[in-house]
Amino acid sequence: MDPQLTEVSQLFERFKAACVREDVDTGSNLLSKLKVMLTGFRSLPPLFEDTPNAIHELTLARDIYEHAVLLSVKIGDQDAFERDFFQLKPYYTDASGRLPPSSQEYMILGLNLLRLLVQNRIAEFHTELELLSPTALENPCIKHAVELEQSFMEGAYNRVLSAKQTVPYKTYDYFMDLLAKTVRDEIAGCSEKAYDYLSISDARQTLLFSSDDELLQYINEEHPEWEIKNGVVIFQKAKESAPCKEIPSLQLINQTLSYARELERIV
Amino acid sequence: MTQDVEMKEVPAPSNSTASSSPSTFHHLKEIASLIETGAYAREVRRIVRAVRLTMALRRKLKAQVLSAFLNFALTPGSEPHNRLASYLPKEDEHEMEVDTATSVTQTPVKHPLPELEIYCYLLVLIYLIDQKKYNEAKACSSASVARLKNLNRRTVDVLASRLYFYYSLSYELTGDLAEIRGNLLALHRIATLRHDELGQETLLNLLLRNYLHYNLYDQAEKLRSKAPRFEAHSNQQFCRYLFYLGKIRTIQLEYTDAKESLLQAARKAPVAALGFRVQCNKWAIIVRLLLGEIPERTVFMQKGMENALRPYFELTNAVRIGDLELFKSVAEKFSTTFSSDRTHNLIVRLRHNVIRTGLRNISISYSRISLADVAKKLRLDSANPVTDAESIVAKAIRDGAIDATLDRANGWMVSKETGDIYSTNEPQIAFNSRIAFCLNMHNEAVRALRFPPNSHKEKESAEKRRERQQQEQELAKHIAEEDDDEF
Repeated sequence: MDPQLTEVSQLFERFKAACVREDVDTGSNLLSKLKVMLTGFRSLPPLFEDTPNAIHELTLARDIYEHAVLLSVKIGDQDAFERDFFQLKPYYTDASGRLPPSSQEYMILGLNLLRLLVQNRIAEFHTELELLSPTALENPCIKHAVELEQSFMEGAYNRVLSAKQTVPYKTYDYFMDLLAKTVRDEIAGCSEKAYDYLSISDARQTLLFSSDDELLQYINEEHPEWEIKNGVVIFQKAKESAPCKEIPSLQLINQTLSYARELERIV
Repeated sequence: MTQDVEMKEVPAPSNSTASSSPSTFHHLKEIASLIETGAYAREVRRIVRAVRLTMALRRKLKAQVLSAFLNFALTPGSEPHNRLASYLPKEDEHEMEVDTATSVTQTPVKHPLPELEIYCYLLVLIYLIDQKKYNEAKACSSASVARLKNLNRRTVDVLASRLYFYYSLSYELTGDLAEIRGNLLALHRIATLRHDELGQETLLNLLLRNYLHYNLYDQAEKLRSKAPRFEAHSNQQFCRYLFYLGKIRTIQLEYTDAKESLLQAARKAPVAALGFRVQCNKWAIIVRLLLGEIPERTVFMQKGMENALRPYFELTNAVRIGDLELFKSVAEKFSTTFSSDRTHNLIVRLRHNVIRTGLRNISISYSRISLADVAKKLRLDSANPVTDAESIVAKAIRDGAIDATLDRANGWMVSKETGDIYSTNEPQIAFNSRIAFCLNMHNEAVRALRFPPNSHKEKESAEKRRERQQQEQELAKHIAEEDDDEF
């Protein structure tokens, strides 16, 4: 076998061991070394040359990137996740004809969808979804992400949080925690508009805090305009409805002027 | 973009010269002379006219006519002639397709015009595609594209853009679109360098179609945003561009822009392009549903489109009523249609709209209703419907879809009184948008007036005026017939 290839495989084994040990520092160092060595292979994207070891090299590179993605989740580095995922993507799309399917493909795709959801990049979420084949959509990891997005859009936030229990893989936990935080902010926003007031216990329940103190702390930090009286949280009183007799004069003037101008143009 | 008319060509018996043959051949000769005059005088309009006349003859093309024409137009024995003739079946036997290497052609003895040569390529290609000989069409079109890279004349551009279209079509029909993406990009670069605007437009549309065929919306959008924009030269290309733009915008959740583009495309398309209009309408309906407005019944009853739009009609019904169960059953019933239209993912997004509409109906009809009843009416199938309903209602209130407040202690939803709309600014805003639209349309129409380019240069002699009037009459007649000729 190619000496370069053997070297890379050995380094990769050490990298995998480091990940299992949860030794992130060694893992990151080894990863950078591996990436540099991968540039030596000519059969990888974007060149895609047909060398004799091509299949082996491609599979190896794909595995390396998959582990890189999982490592970035462990560290909690979303930018690294994005970078590694983009490098991984050509292996799934363009090289998919030549390589046997990877066992972790769907999990990583699901993770990516979840990440887009957490970062509120819904347009990209949907674009990614379009790229998936119908069989992919049946996979539980992907389905989980899709249903999560639906519940999020509809506003059934309690469903979102209960989905936390049903994660297919442990690696999803990191994003689910982030999602929980986003959800809490959303709930607060909705409750503000929907309720005039809420008892402390109800507020605690809706916002999913485990104790009153946490609730009070949250309110102080995020929503100082809410008042707390007699064990009841009063949301910001709707501002006195502006007198509707007020005429938006500037807007009216602009509109009328534009009409006059256009009409003059008609010969 | 399914405008392919299924032509059932009855193969002409080899030894009978059917009476249509000579007159078709005669027409082709006329067209050839038209192309020649156009090329010499550098008038692109004549070439356009020639192409239009060809499309009218499309149905009458037969192998013998074509070989006779090739003999007439190109010197027999010259390289282009050999190559093209090899694609046509000789008499009754089907010759093995000779895939000659595409080398640079040396100038043949008779000096046929390059336009004429390209025109021959176009004819053969159209014939092959109509005969469903897709593999040969592929080879022929690749050869023609290679030939085109060497030519740089404005008069060839019109023919070239047709060739690109058929090139892409032949690859699409054989399922190999991804192969030509690199080629199309290179051609687009060349067209931009040569300021060949029609070619640019056509190639951009073909590239977008290529990307959208494989669902690569991201890349399509990147291309579209970076490509140079200019005034549309051809109405058909503009319609296509609007349709692709609408599709991209829909997937990216920008529904207002998408609706505008799609509706404009559906409106501008020629009446004969039924398949295209059906597709535009399908997407336009879904986008309108996603925006929260219900399309009127007349949209579904347009002539010729009733059957195709039937699934969408039932879908609209379900959304209008706000019934989740009905929605689910309709989506399942027509799932194959939706998957083939590739609108399946969009339909999934509609679920949220169904709930919203249901909520809105409830909030309008009840001044106060308990949350348990809301959950029951919405028919949310979930573990604890009441909490779900509560959060959904809260979100709807926040988004401004309904006007109500929730009362946790008593567990009900209280709707607010909707005041008299006419006393607010609403009518004025609605009027304003309509006025702006009409004025915009007027301005665009004025800008779109085209004057013949040389009109101020020379006084027309009586003869030229007659010719021009004859051309205009022909054009008017052709538009009135709305013949499905161009692409």
